[in-house]
This record gives sequence, structure tokens and C-alpha cells, in this order.
Amino acid sequence: MLQKKICLLGAFSVGKTSLIQRFVSSLFDDKYLTTVGVKIDKKIVTVDQQEIMLMIWDLAGEDDYNTLNKNHLRGAAGYILVIDGTRPKSLDVGLAVHDKVKEALGDVPVVVALNKADLIDEWILDADQLAKLEEKLPVLRTSAKTGDNVELLFSELAARLQ
Amino acid sequence: MSTITEAVLTKLDKVVLTYVEDGYFERENEAHSWFLEIWGDEKKFQLIGFSEYLDNFIVDAIEHWNSGKVEVLSSGPFLEQSASNPELPLEAEAISIGTSLILTITNLGESYQQKLDLLQAARHNLLSNEQLEIEVSKRTATIRQREAEISGRLIYAAGFRDEETGSHINRIGLYSAAMGRALGWSQFAVEDICTAAPMHDLGKIGIPDNILKKPGKLTDEEFEVMKTHPKIGAEILGDSEIEMIQVASEIAASHHENWDGSGYPAGLKGETIPIAARIVAIVDVYDALVHARVYKPAMPEEEALEIMASLVGNKFDPELFQLFLDNIQEMRDIRTNILD
Repeated sequence: MLQKKICLLGAFSVGKTSLIQRFVSSLFDDKYLTTVGVKIDKKIVTVDQQEIMLMIWDLAGEDDYNTLNKNHLRGAAGYILVIDGTRPKSLDVGLAVHDKVKEALGDVPVVVALNKADLIDEWILDADQLAKLEEKLPVLRTSAKTGDNVELLFSELAARLQ
Repeated sequence: MSTITEAVLTKLDKVVLTYVEDGYFERENEAHSWFLEIWGDEKKFQLIGFSEYLDNFIVDAIEHWNSGKVEVLSSGPFLEQSASNPELPLEAEAISIGTSLILTITNLGESYQQKLDLLQAARHNLLSNEQLEIEVSKRTATIRQREAEISGRLIYAAGFRDEETGSHINRIGLYSAAMGRALGWSQFAVEDICTAAPMHDLGKIGIPDNILKKPGKLTDEEFEVMKTHPKIGAEILGDSEIEMIQVASEIAASHHENWDGSGYPAGLKGETIPIAARIVAIVDVYDALVHARVYKPAMPEEEALEIMASLVGNKFDPELFQLFLDNIQEMRDIRTNILD
């Protein structure tokens, strides 16, 4: 079976682990549990009648205590950039991470998850910045809590993998 | 391996491996149960293929060994799934000792949980700070909105007496903000001048109708009365503790002062004229010249700029006028976006 490595990247507490949990185990826990280090999950998806084993690398979020280790990106076929709609800072961090990844991996497929869509009334992202992001990259509004667009998020990325 | 060394490694929950060849490693001490669950009990074994994360780290380890560096290369923590633990926290380290290429794998156990707890608390703090920043900026935006509304209502009130168009007044704020940005002012200062500049002629509210609304040319006496509007404006807006109103008061008081000291009401000269007022003096004339009024047609921009250039050094601050010209395209965009 075809195997592809993908990474979930973004600022801390944007919901990377929750998205993976929702996708892999159909579970969600409202409590924020930080990630330390790397955890790898697997799930098979079907693209054009072909099964692909996704090796999903959950990398600890970027913040004052942790920066992205580029060696962890080695061999990644694509990545999901996660942004929390309720935290403008997560958009800045996400864009900076995107630049770093482009530098390390080149133009591999990416899909942006604007997460916490269940809290859309509390979203405070800058509309111009958001519009620019949507012009450049495929963006999906997701909610790990309700499961909205989570399957689609991973299948969109899987469909774009070479 | 000595009994003491073996005991130490057991205590540290660490397994020491030596690289043999072709991806094969040899275990140097007793294997712990967690290790056996993942890599089995063979003494010499193929390491690759059992842990996705470690497979990736081995690439870095080989590079590290080949470089001859003496320091330890750490993989950082990773969570592995074993038969008895779905989230086993491990860390690998690559070391060269003489010609031996060593890889250790440690079960982080409790220390991982401690690190997790520490980071959890630290990130909670970061989140709280972020939420506080968001709250502060929301409240600042509300205050700004209120300031803009109050200023708008003042201007609206003045509009019942003065015939200046609302579009002209809005443009003055936007041109001034563009100048503030070009000067590298803070966002707060730019927002202040943007809201304050439209109030520059507020003092006209205190000029009698027979002078303010006189269709023809004013007599010298009438003009003297007209010249009191900066003082009236400054008085209306004076003594405020709100920064934006203070800027508005400065502009109202000094927007008819001239660079060479020939202006009114105080005859201020050069940089003694507040910079916000010097900016408004330029953009007010520009906007008045390039737009039509009931008593005159709109002037072509080229001609207006020529007239303005002739006033540099007398009426206008030369450096600010140059900055205005450097940003003329932005001024044109404002004109296009806010039509009379």
C-alpha cells in the first residue's frame, strides 16, 4: 500500500492534536492538553480508488518554548496548517511556519484548517489577511469539536499528494 | 558491562545500542520490557522499520556520527505505541565514543509527565496573555469608535453652518493619516490625526452668518472676524485629556499658521507650529484646489501642485510638502475613493 507522511503544523493550542484525534478515532476532548514532542498516527484513506496509508505527524505547536524542528519534516509529502479563528496571533504564527516549511520542503501540497468553526461568532481574524490567505492556499473551516470538514480536510490533502 | 553500569542503566530506564553494520545494532545491556515490546529480544537486530519516528532520527544520527562531533545528538521526546502503553514517551540520543557509534533509547516515564505539566502551565499562561491582549485591543477599538462618533457628531453639527462638504472633511482625515503613516507614526498617532483633522474648521461655528455665509469677498474687518475661527475651535476642543481631542485642538488652533510666521492667529513659525497642523495646512489646500466649489471649478492637479509648490517655504513646511508629493498617488487614490 502507498504510504505518505503528512504533518500537522501551527501555533500551540490551535487544535492540531484534536483534529487528528477526531479524524483517526472520532473522539474529541474539550480540555486543552499540550503536546510535547512528536506523536505519529496512521489512517488509511481512499483516493481515486487507491488506498493510501497516511502517516500523520503531530508536531508540538510553535511558541516561546518550542520551535519547529525541520528534521521532523523530512520526507513529508504534504502538510496541514492549522489556524485558530479565535486567535489572530495563530494566523501570524501559521504564516511564519508556512514560510519555514516552504524553505525546507519546497512546494509540497498544503491545506489550511481554519479551526474552531464551532466558535465562529468569536472569530476575530483580520478579514484582509484572511482573504489574502484564501487567494494563496486552499482553506477549509473545520471544527474538531463537531467534526465539521475534518474528513474533508484530510481527504483534500490526500488528493493533492503526489 | 559491569553490574553497576547495568544497574545504572536499568535505573535510568535506558537501553544502549551499538551500531554494527547495514542497519544492524547490538544491544549492550539488558532490555526493559517496553523495549522488548517494540524491538524484540534479539541481541543483534535491525532497528529500522519498528518506529516511524526513530527511522527518521537514524538519518540524523548517521549524519552526526559521520561528522565526528563529540556532543550528544538528542531526538527530542516522541510517543511510541507498545503493547502495554499506547503513548510510551521515549527519547533517543546519538553519541560517538572513539570508533563506537552509540544510540541510546530512554523511557522518559515520569520526567515526560513533569515536562508536560510544566509546559501545560506555561502555555496556559501564554493563552491567558493572548486573551488579555485581544480584550485590550477590543476595548481600545471601542474607545476609538466612540471618539470617532463624537468627532463625527461635532462635525455634523458644524456642518449646519459651514458649507464644506462631508466628503472634503473625510478626505482631510484620510490624507492626514496617509502623511502620518509616511512619517512612520504609530498606529495610534495615525488614528488620532485621522479622526482629529476633520475638525480643523470647527471654530467656524462661532463666526456670525453674515460673515461666514457672505457670498462675495470679505472686508478687512470681516476677515479679522473670520480669522478668529482657529481660536474658537481651539477653545471648543481645548483642555481635554483625550489625546485625539488634544491633537484636534492643536490642528484647529494652528492650521492657518504659515511656515514663515506670516499666518494667524499666533504668527507661529517653522517647527513651532505643531506638525499635525502643518500637515492639515497642506492637505486642506490640495483638496480645496482640486475639487469644485459653488464659487469655482475644480483645478487640474498639475496646476494645483504648481501653485502649492510656489507656497513652499512661505506657507508650507518644505519637508512635509516633499513627503506629500512622494505620496501623491495615495492622495489621488483617496480622492478617487471619496468623491464629492
